[in-house]
Amino acid sequence: MTGIGMLTVEDQMAIEGHLKDFLVKSESQWGALVDRGGNLFAENGDIGQVDLMIMCALAAGSFAATKELAKRLGESEFTALYHEGSKMSILMTSLHFDCLLITVFTDKTNIGLVRFYAQQAASTLNTSLKEASESAANSEPLQLDSELPGGQAIIS
Amino acid sequence: MAFINYSKREIQLKIVYYGCALCGKTTNLVKLHSGINSTQKGELVSLATDADRTLFFDFLSLNTQTLPGFDTRFQLYTVPGQPVYNTTRQLVLKGVDGIVFVVDSHWDKMEENVESFANLQENLIENHLSMAQIPYVLQYNKRDIENPAPLHYLEYTFNNRATRALTFEASAYQGEGVLETLNGVARLLLAKYSKSAGGKTASAGDAGKTTT
Repeated sequence: MTGIGMLTVEDQMAIEGHLKDFLVKSESQWGALVDRGGNLFAENGDIGQVDLMIMCALAAGSFAATKELAKRLGESEFTALYHEGSKMSILMTSLHFDCLLITVFTDKTNIGLVRFYAQQAASTLNTSLKEASESAANSEPLQLDSELPGGQAIIS
Repeated sequence: MAFINYSKREIQLKIVYYGCALCGKTTNLVKLHSGINSTQKGELVSLATDADRTLFFDFLSLNTQTLPGFDTRFQLYTVPGQPVYNTTRQLVLKGVDGIVFVVDSHWDKMEENVESFANLQENLIENHLSMAQIPYVLQYNKRDIENPAPLHYLEYTFNNRATRALTFEASAYQGEGVLETLNGVARLLLAKYSKSAGGKTASAGDAGKTTT
């Protein structure tokens, strides 16, 4: 099982607030909270015309792919993963509840600054995730008072 | 695990296409990507080798508005079928909500099909899941080949559990049965959010066996 299952409006606002604060401090371009399954929970900033779903799926896959490498070194997993480009770079930081903080930043800032504030952001996001997890555990399962389309295709 | 975002009124569901090497998993996604028109779809991403063999996964995101008040985002993944990539298959299964198991109808692929089905069950256990928990459908693919394995044989081999899975005949290369298969698993997944469906995951008996 990955992630936390659901986010209320309040959870979402709190997490997006933390992301926004982190982006300002670290001078990063875009930040997102995703789970290890590739689900996008929350995001902030501007990454242009990039398909966010693909971005999250690839980032989660990239992080997961290093797990075996970490094991060979005696680690259960790496706590962060960094890909450096000439202008754009990405830092992925492990969070609790099988989640990741993904940060995209340009050459206007630097990895040291981003990593420093990412560690702080990870701490506050972990607190928010714990609260969201508790509220998810106490919530009724989503049940919509509607019928699925009979013979009609859901996807066409 | 499905993710429900009440702020964006969105449900995200992960569907994984599983099966042995060259059974047609990627072809399913390619045909869905080219054939679907009324559903909002994203780009098809393939992490493949130079020879177009899946190295990590293929990914396609589809957005529908089936449930009132909620967008439903289906995230479709394939796994690499080659036995050597088992760790990758375990990774792709993480957080899975529904599975399409693609069976190659060639007689000489039966052993690989069976091994892959057993491997799926093992990898679900690695992810602390089981076939009983995860809704899945069976797609009997390549029905257009000469002398395919008969349906009753495939049913006996892959669908002989107490709860029968939905099955779909397909020729993914021709685009036949591909959309029906996806709709079949999508319906199973969405049934748990609909009061009229009893709030339970639908079983084969709810939707009936489909052939093309």
